[in-house]
Amino acid sequence: MKKKLIKFYPLIPVFTVYILLFFIGKNVPGMWQLVAMLLFYCALGQAFNIFLGMTGYVDFGYVAFMGVGTYGMALAITRLASIEELGIGIIVAGFALALLMSTLLSLAVGAVALRLRGAYFAIATIGVNEGLRFLIEGARIWNGSEGLIFVSDINNILGRDTADALMTFWADVMVLVIAALAAVVTLYYMRSKIGYALTALREDEDAAKVMGINVTKYKIIAFITSSCFAGLIGAASWALKTPYVFPPEVFEIQYTIEAIIIVLLGGAGTLLGPVAGGLIYGISKYYLAVYVPGFQLLIFAPIIIVIITLFPEGILGMLKNRFQNTGLAHFII
Amino acid sequence: MEVEQLTGNLLQGLVLGAVYGMATMGLSLIFGVLRIVNVGHGAFIMVGAFITLWLFNAFGINPLLAIPFAFMFGMGLGLIFYYAAIRKLRNAPELATLLVTFSFGILLEEVVKFIFGSEFRGYNWIVGKVNLGVTVLPMSKMYACFGSALVALLLYLWFNKTRAGVAMRSVVQDSEGARVCGVNVGGVYAFSFALGIGLTVVSGVMLTMFIPVGINPYMGGGYTLKAFVIAVLGGLSSPYGAFFGGLIFGLIENGSYTLFALIPGVEPFAMTRFLSFAMLLIILLIKPTGLLSTK
Amino acid sequence: MEVAMKRKYFKTLFIIFTLFLFIVSGYANAAARSPDKIQIGHPACLSGKYAKAGEQAVGGIKACINWVNNVYGGVKIKGGKVPLVYKFYDSESKKESVTSLIARLITVDKVNVIFSPYSSGLTLRGAPITESRRMLYMDHGGANNKIFQQGFRYIVQTIGPASRYHEGTLDMIRMIDPKAKRVALAYEDSEFGKMVMDGAEKHSKKLGFDIVFQRTYPKGVTDLTPLLSALKSSKPDIVLGGGHFEDGQLFNRQMADLDINVNALSLIAAATLPAFYEALTNMAEGVMGPSHWEYGVKYSTEEAKKAGIDWIGPSQEEFVDYFKKAVGKDIVPDYHAAEAGAQVLAYVKAVENANSLNSDKVRKALGKLKFMSFYGNWEIDETGLQIGHSMVDAQWQNSKRVIVWPIEAQTGEAYYPMPTFSDKSKGKVAVPE
Repeated sequence: MKKKLIKFYPLIPVFTVYILLFFIGKNVPGMWQLVAMLLFYCALGQAFNIFLGMTGYVDFGYVAFMGVGTYGMALAITRLASIEELGIGIIVAGFALALLMSTLLSLAVGAVALRLRGAYFAIATIGVNEGLRFLIEGARIWNGSEGLIFVSDINNILGRDTADALMTFWADVMVLVIAALAAVVTLYYMRSKIGYALTALREDEDAAKVMGINVTKYKIIAFITSSCFAGLIGAASWALKTPYVFPPEVFEIQYTIEAIIIVLLGGAGTLLGPVAGGLIYGISKYYLAVYVPGFQLLIFAPIIIVIITLFPEGILGMLKNRFQNTGLAHFII
Repeated sequence: MEVEQLTGNLLQGLVLGAVYGMATMGLSLIFGVLRIVNVGHGAFIMVGAFITLWLFNAFGINPLLAIPFAFMFGMGLGLIFYYAAIRKLRNAPELATLLVTFSFGILLEEVVKFIFGSEFRGYNWIVGKVNLGVTVLPMSKMYACFGSALVALLLYLWFNKTRAGVAMRSVVQDSEGARVCGVNVGGVYAFSFALGIGLTVVSGVMLTMFIPVGINPYMGGGYTLKAFVIAVLGGLSSPYGAFFGGLIFGLIENGSYTLFALIPGVEPFAMTRFLSFAMLLIILLIKPTGLLSTK
Repeated sequence: MEVAMKRKYFKTLFIIFTLFLFIVSGYANAAARSPDKIQIGHPACLSGKYAKAGEQAVGGIKACINWVNNVYGGVKIKGGKVPLVYKFYDSESKKESVTSLIARLITVDKVNVIFSPYSSGLTLRGAPITESRRMLYMDHGGANNKIFQQGFRYIVQTIGPASRYHEGTLDMIRMIDPKAKRVALAYEDSEFGKMVMDGAEKHSKKLGFDIVFQRTYPKGVTDLTPLLSALKSSKPDIVLGGGHFEDGQLFNRQMADLDINVNALSLIAAATLPAFYEALTNMAEGVMGPSHWEYGVKYSTEEAKKAGIDWIGPSQEEFVDYFKKAVGKDIVPDYHAAEAGAQVLAYVKAVENANSLNSDKVRKALGKLKFMSFYGNWEIDETGLQIGHSMVDAQWQNSKRVIVWPIEAQTGEAYYPMPTFSDKSKGKVAVPE
């Protein structure tokens, strides 16, 4: 019994951080939007980590899944706005559509790109992201580059007060839930056969194959899971919190890079890493923006270089080594 | 009418493609030797563009003469970055180098912004035009095209005919074997990184000869993405393969416009971009080692 | 040795971590709002993709605030004269930062009004926060008309709507050259560019022009040759287009490269900036651009008196002086600075009229407000959309920007048709006889 519980100890620090963030945001005036930003970065890191951290494959086009998730929610809201009975159900429909669209895209990309490795895979996924954006603009799909703006739709469906609360508070709570879910799934994967298979894959893909592990299957599972979470984050943070979609903004590769920074700062393939990375990334950005407006990137870039050069395995990797044989080791993975 | 336009566009595409190829050689070289994807690639192109701009506007120096200067500057920059961080990360996970090179890019952008400001700039170097009937080509574009081809040729000769070049190739093929044979692998790494950055900075000079306007600290991002695609077309680890990849890319980007314009209801320009990325995927599927490899 | 080093890193990291925690938890004690100042909050775009426009906006706001505090003597409210304070952070042109910084400005800094970040997208991102806090949100950088069709109650626009950018240009050409017929439209494929194009398309048809070419090009292109070759073969008299800064320069440069000679070329956003001429020199001769404001416009106290409208704010010269001081560089402000500065004046005027800092009351006062400043007229409709301000058209004539339209703002006649590119390269300038 106890042994079974020990398996879930690593969730304690993760959830403690999320709960703390929630209460700080709720009770300290002016903090909620900062907390929302931190949650967004943590969720992004946590979701991306499921694939990038566990398999070691770098998906440079990750933001595409957030993009289609955003479109899923946006389409549900704009197309179903006329059905009045739907009410809050429209959000559910939006999440369902976001999930469906990101799953379909990840199936298509997974079937094609996951045959490739290393830099070839990374570049193929960039191709998916950019290609999709230009297809939407060029073939004028979903209103093309004019995008969709749907504040008035949300207002009409939910009423102004509910809509305001949704856009400024509940959307962030949804991101929190998504982040927590992603953490649970990460741990579940780590402790199941999938995790072991993926560890073998990360160390040496060919050897894993020789040993009879169905590498492709597990890669695709991790890929689809990770992409679905991206779709959900897009739907919550980019469609509900930011009620418009312009193609260049939702396919902006910068966000993939941010996700990589977060995962790597914290420690790829660890459970707590993306949370630590997201917090460090978000907080330092915020305070640099406040205290040295205009110079934050100039300061931030060297810091990243120094951290990565000193701890290529991220902060969690460093902590893990340090607490290897102590009681804390149960909490840090 | 359409045929004439298509011919004109293909010619323009060829010239543009040569410059694109040039702008990718450094990326391929660094990947080939060090197995590092330089995510900050575009920022080094931007540095080259600013060097040209500055030399031209402040001292009236001909952009062609800016090339050696840009090359030396790029080599220096490469060496600094190599010894500051890359050397320590040679055995680190792939991700670490991605991030570090990306941060180099940001650092350069912000430093340039700090010095030159965020204004969009340009210079005006007029050396005549060639009218080909179907299209008009300014001489500055021709210089950029031939200059790029020349650099590709020199690189090819250097790789195949000189001792240092052969040593470098041996490291690409088998770094352990090369070490056993007495090649100074560490030195080759440092030199290749510096050479790759040097070439990239020079390509910034060539690019401004092609498009001498819109120079600003953040101009590199688009070129990074393009360079990735072109590098794959050329086989990713071969610098002169990248040159031909660039030619193909330029032809497709410009050539397909006229064809897409015949389809009603689409925006042809965005579709040309879609096509180039779709093609990237197809090539990766069918022949991931690049269009030109014999494997 | 190795272990000691690692321990040291760990220690520093630990310190950094606790510091972060400390900052996060320990800042509930925000500065109490003192009733002796009025604060303007701004999640500016000082870095990232909108850095160029953002820098100008910050300069313009600072300039007008300095004028209000030093020359005007402060905002007259409830019998006292209260200085303005400007509180700005850098949003890095990113939506995640915009919302968190706006929330900080409202709750921690307790500002009285929020000025929007640059671009329609970022403006929209901030709107739900300001709306739900019932905070006045003044938009000087989001031109998308759709922002004002969403039912927001606290957004007020100073920049004019995108759909009207090229209307004046077309009116002018119709007047100068009634025979001109063939219009080519080539804009950037973005929400903004598309909206300008739709406006231009409607207006061209209304004035009886034929649209012979209508295409877009994607954001971030570095070579327009294929599009321009197709444009060339449609043989237009007039070319309207553009989108942002870099593509505007590219557009003009490659028209020159391809020897596309037309009677008039007008580009949005880029063409009226000093950097445009610096980059292109003689190739830009005779090129026009619509602008919200240009150095040299004739708005003045006398003009205001003639029109029977209130005047507020610095004269044009004063504004430029204050702007140069604010940015610490010897550069002439462009329209991004002017519209942001004018927004300060609109706010000051409305606060005085409302005699209150309450956002509802100030919003109401803004709804009734009509005034003229160095930026021109200012008036909004009930949705908050700017309807009072009219755009000017500027043309490069012998390296100077001359305002050629509308007639009442003219500082010179338009040069038409534009000289050919080969004449220009031989030194011909676009100065009317």
